[in-house]
Amino acid sequence: MSSVERAKPSSNWADLSQAERVALQYSVEQFLYEEAALLDARKYREWLALVAEDIHYWMPIRRTVTRRDLEFEFTKLGAMAYFDDDYELLEMRVKKLEASSAWSEDPPSRSRHFVSNVRILGMEGDQITIDACFHVYRTRLNTEVDSWVGRRTDVLRCSGASFKLLKRHIFLDQTVIASKNMSTIF
Amino acid sequence: MQNAQNDSGGWDKAAIGALFDLKTGLLDRRVFCDEALYRLEMERIFARGWNFMCHDSQLPNAGDYLVNYIGEDQVIVVRDEAGTVNVLLNTCRHRGNALCRAEQGRAKTFVCSYHGWNYALDGKLIGVPGQKTYYHDDIDRTRLGLVPARVESYLGFHFATMAEDAPSLSEFLGDVGRTGLGMVNAFGDIEVVDGIQKNIVDCNWKIAVDNLFDWYHVMYSHASAGSAGILNLAEILFPNDQLVMLGEYGQAISGPGVTKAMQAQIDQMSDEQRVEMSKDLVRSGMRVRPRSADELMGPVGVRSVGHPNIFPNLWITLSGMQLCLRLPRGPHRTELWWYTIVPKQAPAKLKQRMVRTAIHLFGPAGLLEQDDGENWSQSTRTSQARSSQKLGHNLKMGIGKDEVIAGGNGEHYIETCVNEHGQRWFYRCWAEWIAARDWAELRANHSPVPEGTV
Repeated sequence: MSSVERAKPSSNWADLSQAERVALQYSVEQFLYEEAALLDARKYREWLALVAEDIHYWMPIRRTVTRRDLEFEFTKLGAMAYFDDDYELLEMRVKKLEASSAWSEDPPSRSRHFVSNVRILGMEGDQITIDACFHVYRTRLNTEVDSWVGRRTDVLRCSGASFKLLKRHIFLDQTVIASKNMSTIF
Repeated sequence: MQNAQNDSGGWDKAAIGALFDLKTGLLDRRVFCDEALYRLEMERIFARGWNFMCHDSQLPNAGDYLVNYIGEDQVIVVRDEAGTVNVLLNTCRHRGNALCRAEQGRAKTFVCSYHGWNYALDGKLIGVPGQKTYYHDDIDRTRLGLVPARVESYLGFHFATMAEDAPSLSEFLGDVGRTGLGMVNAFGDIEVVDGIQKNIVDCNWKIAVDNLFDWYHVMYSHASAGSAGILNLAEILFPNDQLVMLGEYGQAISGPGVTKAMQAQIDQMSDEQRVEMSKDLVRSGMRVRPRSADELMGPVGVRSVGHPNIFPNLWITLSGMQLCLRLPRGPHRTELWWYTIVPKQAPAKLKQRMVRTAIHLFGPAGLLEQDDGENWSQSTRTSQARSSQKLGHNLKMGIGKDEVIAGGNGEHYIETCVNEHGQRWFYRCWAEWIAARDWAELRANHSPVPEGTV
C-alpha cells in the first residue's frame, strides 16, 4: 500500500505517526518533482494528465506597498491577476505551446523548475494542502534570462497511488514583471 | 542650467523631417534607438502632452494615491481632502529624494524619508524639521511645495501635462480622442478593476504603439492563440471592413468597423435586443453598444470596434474593456501597464467573465499578448545594428489607395481593407511634435486631419 493510500483514511495530519508523515512527505515531494521534470522536458500533455479537471490555477498581482497597506499587497480572488485559469484554459495553454506557430516558444525556451521548502499544512478528506517555494528559471534565444521566484499554495487530491493537482495559487516575489512574457507554466 | 527646451541634440527640423518619408512609407530606424531623439521625446512629447494618469474610480477616498509617470518623471497622483486629484512630481524639494516608494496606497501626508520634510496631499510643504533651530526661519515654505502638473479630466479619465502653454485636454483630444475614451464608457459608468498588470519588454515604446494599429499581424503573430481555441480570429478581424479615424496631434482609431448597413440594423434595435445579441460576444470584446453610445462616440465612431490610441501611448482595446499604457524606460525598454474596465452596473457574473477574458487574452501571460513581446524586442534589437538600421521600417501598405470621407458633422474617416494609415499618421505627428520647440510652434505647424487621397 502506498503512503498516499495509507494516510488517507485518517484524514488528519495531526493523527499521523512520524513514520506516516515522513512517507507522505516523500510522496508529495516526488509528485512535485515529477511534475517539474515534465514541464522542464516540455512534456506538457503528460503534465496536464496530473491536473484535476476542477483545478484553480491562479497568480494574483503583487504590488509594492507600505507596511500599513500590506493588506493590499496582493490582488484578491476575482480581481485582476496574471493567471486565473480553469482546466479548459490550461489545456489551451498546452495547445498553444504545442502549436507550430507559437512564436514566443519557437525556438522553445529552456526552463528549470525548482521546488523547495515543501511543507504539508493540512489534510481534509482526500485533499492535502501544501506550501512550497519555487524558482522557475528560463533562458530564451541566445542570451535572454528570466528568473521567477515565489511561494505556492498547492492542493493535491489523492488519486489512486498518487495525486492530482487541484489548486495552485502562485505568489510571485516580483511586483513589476521584468519579463517580456510569461509563456510558461509555473 | 541647461535649457533643455532648446537642446535638440543635433536634430534640427530638416533632419527630423527627413526621418519619415510619407511618399514611400519608409521610416528611419534610428527613431527606435537614437538617444538624442529619445531625449527629445521626453521633452517635447511626454512633458508637453497630456499623459493618462488614472481613472476616477481608482482613487475613491481622500489620501488614496498611486504613482504614475510623465515620461521618466515619477508623479504622485493623489486625491486631496477637497476631492481634487493632484499630480505632483515625486521628488522632495530638498535633496530630490522620492517621496513615495510604494506603487499605490493611502496617505495623510507625504513625508520624505531623508530629512523628514513633509507635504500635504495638495503638495504644500507643511513641515521642515529644524525650521527655527537650524534654518533660523530663513526658508520660504510657500515656494517649496511639490511641483504640480496641470490636471484635466474627460469622462473621469484624469490626464496631466507639465506644459503651462498646453491647450485644454479637450482640444488636445479632439473628436477622435474623445470618441476613443467614449468607447470605454459606451456601456455606462465604469470602474477600473483592482490590479494593474505591469511588465517590461525590451523594445522601443513606439514599436508597441505602432502595433496597436496593425490589423495585418493578428492572423499570423497570434495564429497559435487561434489554434488553441481562445478565440476565433477569423470572426473578429473583418480584414475588408476596416474603419480609420485620424485626429489632430496624432489621435487615431483604426481597426474593424461595423458596416453602414449593419449599423442601420443595429439602430433599429432596442437596448434589450442589443444585450441579447452581445451574449456570446464578450470574449472578443465585440459587444453591441447601447443607444447612449451614439452621443459619446459620434455617428462614425460608434461603428468602430477597432483600436483607439490616445497620443502618444494610451491604447484602448477590446472595445474599451482594457487600456494599455506604454511607458518608455530608455530607447530600448518599455513598461506595459494593463488596466481592466467593467461597467459599474453590470451584473457580478458578467464582470467576472470580463475580468477573466482580460486575463486570458492580454498581459504577459495572455494567450494573445505572449507573442507580441518577442516581435517587438527583436525589431528593436535589429534597429540598433549598423547595416540593418539603414533599412527602412516599412509602412507603405495602401499609400495613395484610399479616400478620406468627410461626414456631415465635421468627422473624417476612411473605409477600406487592412491598411497602415494609423501607423503613418502616428509617425507623421510624432515628427511634428519633436520638431516643434513649444506649443505655439506645434499649433502653427501640425498637420490638419488629412483630406482627399491618402
